[in-house]
Amino acid sequence: MKKQVAVRNLRLCTKDCLCLYVCPTGATDTENSVIDTEKCLGCGVCAGACPSGAISMVPVTYPPQQKKAERVLGRSYPLANQKARQEKMARQQAEAAKANLDRKEAADDGTSQKERNRNDAIYRLMTAVAKSVRLVNEDLLRESGYMLPQSGNVHKLLKEWAENPPSDDFPVQAAQKLLKLLQDHERENMEKNRNKKKYRCLACGHVFETENEEPVCPVCGAAGINLEQVQ
Amino acid sequence: MKYVCSICGYVYDEDKEGRSFASLPESWLCPLCKAPKSMFAPEKKIKERAAEKAEDRKEGASEQEEERTDRPAEQAGAEKRKEKSGREWEEETTGDGLQKLSAGALAALCSSLARGCEKQYKEEESSLFLELSGYFASMAQSEPEGDIDTLTELFRKDLDEGYPSVSGAAREAGDRGTQRICVWGEKVTKILYALISRYQREGTAFLEYTQIWVCSVCGFVFVGDTPPELCPVCKVPSWKFDRIEGRSAE
Repeated sequence: MKKQVAVRNLRLCTKDCLCLYVCPTGATDTENSVIDTEKCLGCGVCAGACPSGAISMVPVTYPPQQKKAERVLGRSYPLANQKARQEKMARQQAEAAKANLDRKEAADDGTSQKERNRNDAIYRLMTAVAKSVRLVNEDLLRESGYMLPQSGNVHKLLKEWAENPPSDDFPVQAAQKLLKLLQDHERENMEKNRNKKKYRCLACGHVFETENEEPVCPVCGAAGINLEQVQ
Repeated sequence: MKYVCSICGYVYDEDKEGRSFASLPESWLCPLCKAPKSMFAPEKKIKERAAEKAEDRKEGASEQEEERTDRPAEQAGAEKRKEKSGREWEEETTGDGLQKLSAGALAALCSSLARGCEKQYKEEESSLFLELSGYFASMAQSEPEGDIDTLTELFRKDLDEGYPSVSGAAREAGDRGTQRICVWGEKVTKILYALISRYQREGTAFLEYTQIWVCSVCGFVFVGDTPPELCPVCKVPSWKFDRIEGRSAE
């Protein structure tokens, strides 16, 4: 089971093609320059070989996210709601300026050119403010425990929306599809730890843990009856 | 005496410039990030700052930023007031348990997750999150009282109460990630506050016949023909800035 896959950054790729020379499966050699993740073994030789540093090894699963203190979340959530209100206000102001522009396009005299410039400036300023506040809010929410799409709490949200859609026109299929496509690495980590068993090697005395169904001593290689399961 | 910009860190050296900071016109802007004079504060020497930090810790007041600046004199007494109002602000909004995220906040959450998927080269997942984001944005409550004055007031509230409250809790919890976004968020909110205030005072003249740029990483807004070489807040290069397109056909 591969632990990582190679991903090519097309912006950095200068077509030196060393990745093509070294890849054991031909995963890096594709029509559209996107590395074939099915063929990719995750060996990492291409990333090392690329002189432009255009290839990164991306993990297949991610560790569970760090927990956020309740006291911090109790304050960041209201701030996020506040930011959302500011964004909505700025968007409304931009829409109003845009409406003025669209209306006055009919008239065509000197004074309305001045008005057009003014409304255009307001439209651009308020659009910039809305965009800016959205980016700040995204940053804030990422640091409120929603850093990765694969996190447990994202799955919780998606599941809640899929089972109890907030309204009739909620795109339920989108939520369901996401639940199917995205790993829930916190659940996977919990299961992995549940399946982990402890063994003592009767040959060399080493004690180790593994979820492997057919355990092998990592020190001396003993297996089968030479391993004793312990609590 | 040196004055430091609290947004980008630019240092105005009175000796080098041969002119006192106070004598500069009110329309003077930071050469790097175009912040107004009000965003500048005198630089304190490192020893003085360390002694002050020790004093603050003893009195249990909260600090604002880790930089070598001090709040302008008139705000110095407000340091302790800010920490107190931070707690009040929390109590009035959270009640019991965590406040629910509004539709608008969920829209931002989904667009953030869409970007996360895009960075992992998961295009289908990204567009699905964008679909959800669009839904939540359409469900966001209208703000009929949302005029420029209210917006300015809310930015001020973030700077006086919201951010100090969050960063105070983050510091106590040792949460560096949240502390970082508070530093960036405060700086960006300051420049938005400065721009909107200037528009209220002067009108749109300073925006016409030039461009408005938004940093696609941190949200910093810059008015000028070309974007800055480096973002004054998050330091990414100029090509990370997006130009805001106009609506009228000139």
